[in-house]
Amino acid sequence: MTDNWMVAELDPIRRLRVLAATVPGALRHREVLLPAPVDRVWAVASDLERELPRLLTTVRSFRFTGGEGERLRAHAVGRFGQQADFEVVLRPGWCLMQSRFVVGAMAAVPEGEGTRFATLGGFRFPGARLLSPLTGLLGDVAIRRFAEHPALRD
Amino acid sequence: MTTAVQQEAGPTPGIDPALVRDAQRGDPLALAELMELLTPYVGRICGPIARQDGPDAAQDALIVILRGLRQLREPAALLGWARTIAVREAVRVAQRAGRTVTAPLDELRAAGDPQLATDVEDALARLTPEHRAVLVLRDLEGVDETTTSSVLAVPLGTVRSRLARARRSFRKVWES
Repeated sequence: MTDNWMVAELDPIRRLRVLAATVPGALRHREVLLPAPVDRVWAVASDLERELPRLLTTVRSFRFTGGEGERLRAHAVGRFGQQADFEVVLRPGWCLMQSRFVVGAMAAVPEGEGTRFATLGGFRFPGARLLSPLTGLLGDVAIRRFAEHPALRD
Repeated sequence: MTTAVQQEAGPTPGIDPALVRDAQRGDPLALAELMELLTPYVGRICGPIARQDGPDAAQDALIVILRGLRQLREPAALLGWARTIAVREAVRVAQRAGRTVTAPLDELRAAGDPQLATDVEDALARLTPEHRAVLVLRDLEGVDETTTSSVLAVPLGTVRSRLARARRSFRKVWES
């Protein structure tokens, strides 16, 4: 009695919900339904080097520096010259990035003829809850910019 | 991970105690990795108990498990602890959904028939969440009666009588 129907599965959106409810810090979790197929959405979302500086006003550049398979390393430079090294897990439908102070994640699954897309982002250090208004602002701006991305329009 | 826990937990990959400790400190990558290691185990418990609501139950169970991780003093106890939470969340979600199946079973399939699994699922669906939980723990996971009593928070005698009734109900539906 171990057939697949006996095992409840968690898609990437559900996994992101679990993380949003359990990772400590000041995090902002958003979900949107996009009218584009998941392959097209993920092609944009996973192009981190090009898209992160476009979506996040605080990021000037994001460059992969190493790693292999789905475990990668990256170096980010902020608008004011601040720098951070990131650990990245990237695979179809799932991306999780963390530096010493910041965490970011994205997930996508097909829903109807479109895609359910979710983001999670914020600060992970103690006392970061004071920055909640900022994470809210950044999270809302980023997901709105993503939803309006030219590559996702018909 | 101790051998005892691995045997008790069944074919679940061993979980590095250092990973559990990193997750207890709130490291997001460790929490995500631990979630992925626990998901098949939690899903195997929540699926048969909560059925179509299994993904909801598994999601809720993982939130409770990872949120409460700091209370866990011994990483080797993780799987047993996760199992207790998964069973309780699955029963809770199934009770909340309150779905019952009343349509009669189709003709019984022969073993090996691809429809067999569907028939088993139909038969399970006719049981209460509490009966599905005791069947999952004893007959699928092979958990002993004492542990089942602890997981379900009911006396040993209740486990035995509930298991007997659950098996009788399953057999009755199966053979009808």
